[in-house]
Amino acid sequence: MELAVALGLIVFKVAFLIAILLLLPLPLTWVERKVAGHMQQRMGPMRVGWHGLLQPVADGIKLLTKEDHIPAEADRFLFKLAPILALAPPFVVFVAVPFGESISVLGTEITLYVSNMNVALLFVFAVIGIEVYGVIFGGWAANSKYAVLGSLRTCAQMISYEIPMGFAVIGVVMLAQSMSLLDIVRAQADVWNVVYQPVGFFVFFVAGLAEAQRIPFDLAEAEGDLGAGFHTEYSGIRFAFFMVSEYAIVLLVSVLVVILFFGGWNGVLVPLPPLLWFVLKVAFFVYLFIWFRFTFPRYRYDQLMAIGWKVLLPLSMANIIITGVLLGAVGAP
Amino acid sequence: MSRAKDRVGTWIGWGFFADLANGLALTFGYMFSRPVTMQYPDQEKWLPYPRYRGHHFLKRDEEGEIKCVACELCARICPCDCIEVVPYEDENGKRHPAKFEIDTARCLFCGLCEDACPADAIALGQQYEFSSFSSRDLVIGRDDLLAKPGKAATGGGVVAARLDTKKDVRVETKETQGYNWWRNIRRT
Repeated sequence: MELAVALGLIVFKVAFLIAILLLLPLPLTWVERKVAGHMQQRMGPMRVGWHGLLQPVADGIKLLTKEDHIPAEADRFLFKLAPILALAPPFVVFVAVPFGESISVLGTEITLYVSNMNVALLFVFAVIGIEVYGVIFGGWAANSKYAVLGSLRTCAQMISYEIPMGFAVIGVVMLAQSMSLLDIVRAQADVWNVVYQPVGFFVFFVAGLAEAQRIPFDLAEAEGDLGAGFHTEYSGIRFAFFMVSEYAIVLLVSVLVVILFFGGWNGVLVPLPPLLWFVLKVAFFVYLFIWFRFTFPRYRYDQLMAIGWKVLLPLSMANIIITGVLLGAVGAP
Repeated sequence: MSRAKDRVGTWIGWGFFADLANGLALTFGYMFSRPVTMQYPDQEKWLPYPRYRGHHFLKRDEEGEIKCVACELCARICPCDCIEVVPYEDENGKRHPAKFEIDTARCLFCGLCEDACPADAIALGQQYEFSSFSSRDLVIGRDDLLAKPGKAATGGGVVAARLDTKKDVRVETKETQGYNWWRNIRRT
C-alpha cells in the first residue's frame, strides 16, 4: 500500500512537472513579446484577448494546424528525431531539480522534488550535454546550408561554454561539500553562495546565457546571417518543439542560478513561503534573460569563442584555486 | 592628471560592467515610458491636417445646384487619367456633368484636379480609408461625390476612434480635434 502511494506520488509529480514545463512557454512568449514591445515603445500583442493574453494560444493553434513540411532532400528519420532529442533533455533535467523542502497535504508530507540524487549536479550537466544532439541532427538532417552552419555554430558554442559552466559550479560544490542540489540549498540557509562565489556566479550566468543561446550569444540563430539557424527548415509542431525546448532551457538556467548561487527557497528579510521565494527569484532571472535580449547586441563569432576560452575558462579556474586555498587556510565559512 | 584619472575610472567602471548597467537602465526606463504607437484602428486614429488630400468631393452652389460645369479640365490634367466626365446641357443652357466618375483605385491624390477646376467644384478632403473588397467599389459616381463631407476645419491630431466592420470598413470617430501625437512622442 505504501509502495503504491509512493509510486502514485512520483507519477503525479512527473506528470505535473511535464504539464508545467509544456504550458509555461505560453505565458513566457507573451511576457517576452510584451517586454520587447514596451522596451521599444510599442505595446506588443494587443488584439487577441485582454492585452493580447490569448496570443500564445492563437500562436499554438496556428503552429498545430500548419503543414508539417519535410524538405525533399532531408534525412527523414533524423529530421523527425531531432526535435524530440532537443525537447527531452531539458525536461529530464528537472527530475533532479528541487523546488523546495516539502509541504504537507492532508497530513502527508510531500517533498517538492522528484528525486534527491547525491550526484544531481553531475546528472544535470550530463543531460544538458545531450541537448546538443538535437541541434546537430536538426541542422544536419534538414540538408540546408543555413541549418548546417547554425548547428555547427551551436554545437561549438555549447561545447565550449559547458566547460566554464562546469568549472564555475565546483566552487559551490566545495562550499557545500555535496553535489546534491538539496544539500547545496541547505548549505546556503544563512549566506547565499553569491556572496562567497561572485566570480563563479558571473561565469555560470554568462555561460548559461550562451548555453540557452540567448542574446548576446544567439549566434546559432542569428536572423541576419543564418535565416533561423538549425531550425530554419522546421515548421509546425516540430518548430514548436524547438521553441519549447529553448524556453525550458532558459527556465532551467534560471532555476540552476537560483539554486546554486541565490539560496534556492531561502528568503531574506521578508518572511514569504519558501516556494514563493523560489518562484520570485526564478521569475527575476527569466526577466533578466528577456531584458538582456532587448538591450545588448550580438557578439561576433570569434568574440564569442574568445570570451568562452580566454575569459570565462581562466576565470573559473582561478575561482576554483582561490576557493580551495581559502577553504584550506581559513576553513569553511 | 585628471585625464589619466578619468581613464582609470572608466576602466574600473568597465570592471564592474558600468557600461552594461547603463544600457540595461536605459531599456528599463523605456519599458515604463509611454508607447508611441497609435492603437489604430481599435481605439484611436490619426486625423489629418485640413490641407490633407484625401477623398474627393463635388461642391454645390448656394441654390443647391452642382457647381461643376463639365469643362473636363480635371479629366485632362489628371496624370493617371482616372476622371471620366460626360456633359449635358439643361433647360437653361448650362453645362453640367451627366456622369462624373473618379476611379480612386488609380488616383494618386495629387490634387491637380482641384487646382485646375475653374468653377471651384471639386476638392480633396480628409478621409483616407478606402479599403474595399472589390476595385469596382472604388469607382465613385457623381451623386456619391456630392454626398461626401467637405473640407475639414480642424485636424492634425490623434482622436479616439472605433473600428466598424458592419457595413463598411470605416474607422468611426466623433471628435474633430485630437491630442498632438508629435508632442506626445518627444522625449527630453
